[in-house]
Amino acid sequence: MAGTRLKKNIIALTGLGIIAFYVAVIVVSLFWLPFDPVAMDTTHLLEAPSIATGHLFGTDEFGRDILSRIMQGCSVSLIISISATLMGAVIGTLMGIWAGFLGGKWDQWIMRVADILFSFPSLLLAIFIMGILGEKTYNVIFAIGIVYIPQFARVSRGAILTLKGNEFVRAALSNGAGKSYVLFRHLLPNIMMPLIVQISLSLSVAILLESALSFLGLGIQPPYPSWGNMLSSARKFMMLAPWTAIYPGLAISFLVLGFNLLGDGLRDILDPRLRNVK
Amino acid sequence: MGRYIVRRLLSLIPVLLGVSIIVFFLVRLIPGSALQMYLGTQVETTPEQMEELKRIFGEDKPVPVLYVEWLGRVVKGDFGYSLRTSREVLPDILARLPLSIEITIFALILALVIGIPMGVLSAIKQHPITDVFIRIAGLLGLSLPQFWLASLMVIAFSNLRGWIPMGNYVSFLAAPFQNLKMLFFPSLAIGIGLAAVIMRYTRNSMLEVMQMDYIRTAKAKGLKKRVVIIRHALRNAILPVITVAGFNTGYLLGGAIVIEEVFALPGMGRLALYAIYQRDYPLIQGIVLLIAAMFVLVNLITDLIYASVDPRIRLDEKAR
Amino acid sequence: MRKMAFLALLAALFALAVPQVFAAGAEKVLTLGVDQEVIGLDPNIVTSFSSHRRVDLLYNKLVRHNENLEIVPDLAADIDIPDNVTYIFNLRKGVKFHNGQEMTADDVVFSLNRILDPKTASPGRSYLTTVKSIDKLSPYSVKVVLTAPLASFLEGLASNNCAIVSKAAVEQYGNLQKVEVGTGPFMLKEWVPDNSMTLVKNPDYFEKGAPYLDKVIFRIIPEQASLLAGVKSGTLDMATINDGSTIMLAKRDPNLVVMQKPGVNVRTFGFNVTHKPFDDERVRQAISLAIDRTEVVTVAEFGMGSPTGPIPVSATQWALPLSKIPYSTPDYAKAKALLAQAGYPNGFTFSIVTANSYEGGLSVAQVIQNQLKKIGVNAELDVVEWGIYIDRWVKRTFDGMVELRGGSSEPDRFLYRMIHSTGGVNNFMFKDAEVDALLDKGRALTKVSDRKPIYDQLQIALATKAPIIFLYAPFETTVLNKSVKGFKQVGNGSLYYLTYAQK
Repeated sequence: MAGTRLKKNIIALTGLGIIAFYVAVIVVSLFWLPFDPVAMDTTHLLEAPSIATGHLFGTDEFGRDILSRIMQGCSVSLIISISATLMGAVIGTLMGIWAGFLGGKWDQWIMRVADILFSFPSLLLAIFIMGILGEKTYNVIFAIGIVYIPQFARVSRGAILTLKGNEFVRAALSNGAGKSYVLFRHLLPNIMMPLIVQISLSLSVAILLESALSFLGLGIQPPYPSWGNMLSSARKFMMLAPWTAIYPGLAISFLVLGFNLLGDGLRDILDPRLRNVK
Repeated sequence: MGRYIVRRLLSLIPVLLGVSIIVFFLVRLIPGSALQMYLGTQVETTPEQMEELKRIFGEDKPVPVLYVEWLGRVVKGDFGYSLRTSREVLPDILARLPLSIEITIFALILALVIGIPMGVLSAIKQHPITDVFIRIAGLLGLSLPQFWLASLMVIAFSNLRGWIPMGNYVSFLAAPFQNLKMLFFPSLAIGIGLAAVIMRYTRNSMLEVMQMDYIRTAKAKGLKKRVVIIRHALRNAILPVITVAGFNTGYLLGGAIVIEEVFALPGMGRLALYAIYQRDYPLIQGIVLLIAAMFVLVNLITDLIYASVDPRIRLDEKAR
Repeated sequence: MRKMAFLALLAALFALAVPQVFAAGAEKVLTLGVDQEVIGLDPNIVTSFSSHRRVDLLYNKLVRHNENLEIVPDLAADIDIPDNVTYIFNLRKGVKFHNGQEMTADDVVFSLNRILDPKTASPGRSYLTTVKSIDKLSPYSVKVVLTAPLASFLEGLASNNCAIVSKAAVEQYGNLQKVEVGTGPFMLKEWVPDNSMTLVKNPDYFEKGAPYLDKVIFRIIPEQASLLAGVKSGTLDMATINDGSTIMLAKRDPNLVVMQKPGVNVRTFGFNVTHKPFDDERVRQAISLAIDRTEVVTVAEFGMGSPTGPIPVSATQWALPLSKIPYSTPDYAKAKALLAQAGYPNGFTFSIVTANSYEGGLSVAQVIQNQLKKIGVNAELDVVEWGIYIDRWVKRTFDGMVELRGGSSEPDRFLYRMIHSTGGVNNFMFKDAEVDALLDKGRALTKVSDRKPIYDQLQIALATKAPIIFLYAPFETTVLNKSVKGFKQVGNGSLYYLTYAQK
């Protein structure tokens, strides 16, 4: 059985490792960047990566250093994704817990709102919200966050429902414990795990959503770098200067992979059914 | 069961109503209007011209009034006319439906063809390393931004004439081979991500099933391993996979906006995107409503399949 | 047995596919890739650049532009101008509309009145503002009298918005947005919105022998890279491409022909002159001195544009060379001095509205932002989506804005409505007596030799007062497959010369 634990752990650990690497990049980027990410150098337009010029990942159509832009974009993407996911997680979980725990009319109405939100294709909903609020950074967080509310509501509601029938909960209630007490003391800690898994997986999607929005021109606006808007401007130059598109794409893919691995690995560790595999 | 279906169908109505209200009001909050865009920045108009244009573009009454009028027409099947093309909204949306459905089915097939075997392999493999590799590969598929993948495909395969659609989309009925060739890469771009999800579910489901007593019995009886796996384990493991496939189909039907954009395919996602850019209110309202309706319908069907096959699930609790 | 059925099925599928191969035989079809769909086809109503491209082929005007941007006869075989307010148009005889009816003076009178009618909401109305009366003199001649001389009158009539439509058709259909009844070289056969539009040859076109193509198919492909890929692979015969990097790639391909010509559109960077600090002329001049037009063209258009003053350089009759236009070459010392004089020795901050589309000029805005840093001015980019961009334009809620202005080789048509204090597209809120006077005088005279000195003065005045900084005229680019012959660019984007194209 030790072999299987290791298997699961490799996945989660790899994920964690990747994420840690990106966090390190962010920390470094706060103090030092190879070049100024928004400085244009019109004598070095669309140059291929080369150690000689110092532009390790090449330059873009304005002569800006791609590596520096990727590094700065890292903070942007992570901050937005984490904030948005947390926002969705907090609001959604509260909704879900309330619905699951209180049941009845509350359940119906809360989940109805969640259903309505859920039925909107997520990218379209985000586009709408960005359209109304305007293309500022905090609006991107808000738009993506709202998209997540229904998912967290469902997960937490489901978990609460499963737990509600549990012995110790009923025992506590019949012993006169207040509903809030039961909620916070017994139920919340137990739904933490599925929530954490969901958060990790949602983070990966949030990063993709943010880059899709920027790609469509609705997220972070130039000249500030975001991986999504870098990919968007790079589209035109893909044949002329493929490095402008390859590196940002790789940056996104690996970070998202990291979160997916982590979430997947955690899920394995926490799922009792998968513990005893031959 | 019948009562459950009716109840679920009825519950569709408030959801769709809610969606329609949100869309109607939300979309008018976005600055800019179809009328402004029509005029652009190159045209000057007189006040009389403006009055007339406002009437044509439906900007002459308060929004709640417009909503009620619109709703009244919708329940009769009249979704109004596009502000941009002056054509009827519903037929134009429905004309795009076959493409979206086709891509969805194609992507689903590709995803199942790639994902299920990978999931099975990963579940039964002896070496943890192989399992890890397959899973990482699968998750990588989930991690690649679709538009990046799609753009790379356009560049890499643009020399393959006919394999990359370039605005000369033909329907399946008109030219099946041509059509399938054109939709291969777009469907693949979507399918890769979906394959990863299916792989994960297949794997988990297989792992669970393979510990079941009847499997051990079969093995003890001496049945060949392959028979055991395919005939017994897989058949039972497939159910959650169907569920998640069905669920994601709902999403896909919403139109893979970015894929359609990169491959220049006339699907519903792109129609919705451009409708929003153009502030073509009747069109936006029509599309979102239809997408939402399809989404909840597909979900309902998926839930029903799931519930009818697995008696353990109590229909009243949607504990997923 | 199963094998037979399978083979049969295979054969059937094959049979479906095979005819496709043979269909493309004898017909001469040209497939053209464009990146924007059109809203409607009614020439008197349409506004977008892309709609004009279709109208080019479906309708005729009284006069049109040739490949040197000169006015030549179209439906009017010749024009008498007895005095500077009277025009008599003698129409060609035997020209047929696509529904078979003959085009006569009734249709011309009807069309012109339709354009002037406020209910039509025609953009062409502003080109015919001084028309006093329109009379049919005979079945083939029409007399138009103006209240005052208008130098750009014929130029205005050459616009697609002043095309001649069939009176009977408009009376029957209401408007021609979805139906097409023109006299043009091609007729509308099929329209699948956001996908393709098929035009077929008009066998009765009044130019004998033309057009040589049997069919023209427009395909909508929003991506510049996909447009190029289409021409390379042969699925498209030609495409209109405006993105510099894509054009660079096209030039590398020996099988493609890249036609380029300076266009008449002008990229501008304008101010709302009621917003501080742009109410001070010195500030505007300082900014004009900080902008390096050549660098903007190099970075934003890969060098494919001509730096220009208030009149696009392709209007060779009127445009002053840049060397004669003040404040058009960079001088950072002087710029800083002007700012100091105006009270901003340490620069200031403002925002530029721009959109991430070709017309919205995001790349241009980024270069300008970078250049202004040199004089201590901090420009923040307000990047908005196209619909919002238009909203900001209409409501005049901007400090600075990057635009692409549809231009003309006739200075009055281009400049009057843009910078006259009563101009309909003067969103800069600019009011200047001297400029107004020059514009009014310029349009009232008719001889080029009389008008030239006025417009010379105007260009210098505009550059000095600088409510708008005129940056460059982008090249008009068409990428063609080598097999397409006979096509010429007009210089204003018109596709009319497809009439003479052959494959």
